[in-house]
Amino acid sequence: MMQSLHRFVWRDAARRARKLLDFAETEADGGRDLVRAAELTKDPVLRRLYAVHAADEERHAALFRGRGTELMRALPVSSPAKSRLNWLTPGERGLDDLRVDGKSDASLLAFLHLSEKTAARHFGAYVDALRDDPSTAAVFREILHDETFHMNYTLAQLNRVAPRQRGMYLWRARLGRLWKAYLRIMAAIAGVIGSVLLIVQYFVLIPPFAFLAKRAERREPDGWKPPPPERPLNSQY
Amino acid sequence: MKILGISAHYHDAAAALVIDGMPVAAVQEERLSRRKNDAAFPLAAIEHCLEQSGLEPDDLDAVVFYERPMLKFDRILTCALRAFPRSWRSFPHAMKNSLGEKLWVRGIISSHLGVERRKILFTDHHRSHAAAAFLTAPVRDAAILTADGVGEWAALTVGHGTRGPGRTAINLLREIRFPHSLGMLYSTFTAYLGFQVNEGEYKVMGLASYGRPTMADAVRKLIKRTQDGAFRLDLDYFDFHASTKRSFSDKFVELFGPPRDPFDPIDLATAEGRRFADCAASVQKVLEDILVDIAAALHRETGLPDLCLGGGVALNGVANARILSESGFERIFVPPSPGDAGCALGAALYADRVHFGNPDRDIPDHPYWGPVVDAAALAGLARQDDQPVEELEESALIQATARDLFEGRIVGWMDGAMELGPRALGHRSILAAPHTTQMRDRLNRDIKHREQFRPFAPVVPVEAAERYFEMPAGGARLARFMSGVFPVRPEWREKLAAITHVDGTARVQALERGMAPRLYALLEAYGRLSGIPILLNTSFNLSGEPIVNRAVEGYLTFRRCGMDMLVAGQTRVTKRAPAR
Repeated sequence: MMQSLHRFVWRDAARRARKLLDFAETEADGGRDLVRAAELTKDPVLRRLYAVHAADEERHAALFRGRGTELMRALPVSSPAKSRLNWLTPGERGLDDLRVDGKSDASLLAFLHLSEKTAARHFGAYVDALRDDPSTAAVFREILHDETFHMNYTLAQLNRVAPRQRGMYLWRARLGRLWKAYLRIMAAIAGVIGSVLLIVQYFVLIPPFAFLAKRAERREPDGWKPPPPERPLNSQY
Repeated sequence: MKILGISAHYHDAAAALVIDGMPVAAVQEERLSRRKNDAAFPLAAIEHCLEQSGLEPDDLDAVVFYERPMLKFDRILTCALRAFPRSWRSFPHAMKNSLGEKLWVRGIISSHLGVERRKILFTDHHRSHAAAAFLTAPVRDAAILTADGVGEWAALTVGHGTRGPGRTAINLLREIRFPHSLGMLYSTFTAYLGFQVNEGEYKVMGLASYGRPTMADAVRKLIKRTQDGAFRLDLDYFDFHASTKRSFSDKFVELFGPPRDPFDPIDLATAEGRRFADCAASVQKVLEDILVDIAAALHRETGLPDLCLGGGVALNGVANARILSESGFERIFVPPSPGDAGCALGAALYADRVHFGNPDRDIPDHPYWGPVVDAAALAGLARQDDQPVEELEESALIQATARDLFEGRIVGWMDGAMELGPRALGHRSILAAPHTTQMRDRLNRDIKHREQFRPFAPVVPVEAAERYFEMPAGGARLARFMSGVFPVRPEWREKLAAITHVDGTARVQALERGMAPRLYALLEAYGRLSGIPILLNTSFNLSGEPIVNRAVEGYLTFRRCGMDMLVAGQTRVTKRAPAR
């Protein structure tokens, strides 16, 4: 079923182009996160590996951007912008909010390992879904090769950094991802509820005030205004 | 008195600490958090400022926020009401945005720092800009002009300032209020041209040089002059006051054509590419014309020879140079950080001089208020990676670096305290030989990864500036913090191809020896080798990243791009091999 879903999402050329360009941004962001990780770690081996990983992400961003731009250029001018359905086909760490600061080396490695593993799974599925577009599939295939390296080095380094606690860190990272997913969903629901309430208030309570504000605006002369009188600095108004 | 200034919650959060009337530290949050244009409450920047001076929050006499949050909320709410019912989509967003955090600044400061609420003060946004421009400038009396997107209500103010043994005063004479804003006009075109607002305005300015202002009359339909010399935007062409999604309206698109897709590269060889360049040139011309006109009127009114310019619009070096040439002012002072980050310093100085009435003091005329680079840390990092490291005597280091530059190597240069503001002014810079277009292309391709149409800037000893650049009287002052764009003299353009923009201009930094003595010495040494004491100076960062701060950030940037050498203090690292 997932395979059919992926085929559906990737079938449309305009959406495909947009998604690749989005993926490019996500990879570039991921690269910056890894640079930050390299800046913060005290471990020289990890610093080197994170720098390599960051360079890979930057290269992936360039690959996605290049292919996305090619597809964009091939589109008819009037191609409508379609929803990218990013929830159905996320990019690498596309739905994970990574905060490198304050994370230990072991927690970060566990997080990266899981993240790379998920990305590799997704990208593998996209390669299959893109049989009709071999050029785009080739981009994913090339990136998939790097993801395997990233998956392996993060696990190997986790073994080195926390040999006896590897399992614990991986479970913690899994739970952390679940918790973040839960928070994202709850925040989205709260956002929708908040918006609905505010829109109701907007149409129920605001109209008389809007009338007064518009009337005041019409009476306001154009051009320069005198500055408001100097107010005491302890006032927020 | 110990006064902490804070700017936050819009873009470029920053903190600045003033002790006994003198700045001791000021830094943008993005340089510490490593998130470009970080607008979050600047906790790391505050911690740095306090650490730098060995203070605890309790020791502070006042904490000054750079604007008045409730007044700003008043503007947001009023604009939503005025745009009813078009604003129904943006209203929930605006309310959630304001009510979530931005409105409770006193509580946020108090809870983060533990300072008493009575010590927390608020200045007007544009007074903070005015103070940042005027109180840091070496002048006693000056006219003041501030312009940005918007603060609370004001979007542009004019006034005058007086410093001296008596009382310091900043008198704003009049203002133009939101939504009528030059900053919003320019930002709308920034968005229309497919660049990121509050970040891509430089790109519009760079692109403008490739176009002709063929659409200036169309732009003038959007912004009409009023009889009293101000201006008003025709809001039918804009959506920024009623929408969070788009800043221009369908009518705007009817007038100028379809907007550029941000993902579509600008190809100046095509008609579409040229249309975008003409569009950029047109809005740039209209902006300049209006600024020159307002500045000239202010000059006639005040009769003062000096003008202090503040606000984000003062980052427009082309407009600044025209104001200098055409408004009648003899000198223009633009601080190194005229945007919101500089307001942290402006707010602290305003509270010190005006609110508390403390005596006036001259502020050191440099931008270096940030953290100091640790050269030993760089040496340690490079040795861990088995990169060649040398620790040289000062003169040997300068000679060796000049030789590297002369031989075409690209050098990362970290020296002392970091700059406050968006420009690298010689303490966190990437330096290169300025002579060939190949060097420009190499920098664009291997290091900066940015659009081909964006120019690189030169740094030149102030004494030599006029030899290479057509600097009007007062030009050297404007060029002190790279705030003006001036023509490269025609006879030098070929030899300065990497820093000469397509229209024959350059955004010059005219360096005084006392401001950055090591870079000055490097320019002299390079001049002895090449015959031209000029270097290409661009900010030490990669695309999408803030300028580097610590040695480790400089080092990792150096490892990740096509830079050949890295210098911090007396330490010099040569690149042996790429990171992998």
